Amino acid sequence: MSTTTVVDARKTPTAGMSVVLFLEKPEQAFCVVGSCIALTLYHPRTGHGALAHIVLPRSSDRTGPPGKYADTAIPYMVEALGKKGANCAGLVAKLSGGASMFGTSGPIKIGEQNAEAVTQLLKDLKIPIRGTHLAGPKGRRVTFNTQTGDVTVEVVGQPAETL
Amino acid sequence: MTELVSTAPDLMVMSHLFTAATENASEAMSRWTNGQITLSLEEVREVDLDQVSSELDVSDELLTMVVHHLDGELGGQLILTFDEQNGRHLAASLLKREICTDPEWSDLEKSALNETGNILSCAYMKVLTDMIGENLVPSPPYFIQDYGASILEQAVLAQAMVSDRVLVCRTNFRREGELLKWNVFFVPTDELLKKLTSTLESTD
Repeated sequence: MSTTTVVDARKTPTAGMSVVLFLEKPEQAFCVVGSCIALTLYHPRTGHGALAHIVLPRSSDRTGPPGKYADTAIPYMVEALGKKGANCAGLVAKLSGGASMFGTSGPIKIGEQNAEAVTQLLKDLKIPIRGTHLAGPKGRRVTFNTQTGDVTVEVVGQPAETL
Repeated sequence: MTELVSTAPDLMVMSHLFTAATENASEAMSRWTNGQITLSLEEVREVDLDQVSSELDVSDELLTMVVHHLDGELGGQLILTFDEQNGRHLAASLLKREICTDPEWSDLEKSALNETGNILSCAYMKVLTDMIGENLVPSPPYFIQDYGASILEQAVLAQAMVSDRVLVCRTNFRREGELLKWNVFFVPTDELLKKLTSTLESTD
């Protein structure tokens, strides 16, 4: 059992559940997800990016932090990045997570629903998905590097993959 | 060193409940480990969802875990976690062997930790069962290793569907007086939590 450490967690901003972090080149950030989705939006020309730790697919008129739900997080990220000069037309997306960690019953299926919701919303906004690392039974440690736009995904016991 | 439960309307009520459950679990753990391991409830409070990992000091650390489900409406999850060193130490102690250095856990080591989870969860559930008059039976345990925050996230998911805050009960584990890096996450469904709360309020 081994795992690669891409960044030092103590020194790198971390996106907790429902949190959206906005970054500028060459900053990086990370988050750890299970059934949640780690969504990155990146503007290669300006070097602006955002990392969201999305918990649930739909807000269904519930209140909460914008990063909690896919249907509130993505518009929030796009608008905020636009204000920084990173317009929607130039954004690319990468997403990882959506695991089914304890089995297949109850809220555990939410991982699959999260991935579907995020994918559809990105499609609606015509934001191209440049990489995915989804599903399976394991958690993921996701590191977003705005120097390159790379997203590195680590799974316990497996080599790290870069999207 | 922590338990995590869920959103709760009354911290005093929940504190009363989990003190009783912790005491029963502590007695069971003490018997199972020949008096070495005990538990005590330290505090009960609510935290925001986005602060759960940092408040509980669970991030990208690799943890060894024993998971139990409670099926049905009055359900939930109970997860016992250890870091590598503490998990290995416990397994070796229970098996009366030297601490294993093989990167892969043996079936015997996994079984020792699973049984520890069994004892802890049954002791917890016995107190809750007695309180609400409903039979709460934990599933057979299963052993997993993963990032602590990903397990925590999964555990609070059911509560995240109904609230942006969760209740945290901090519990200390000690081996012969020395604090251990163990955690218990107990997350009842909203229905079970309401049942526990209403039962306790009606008996006050």
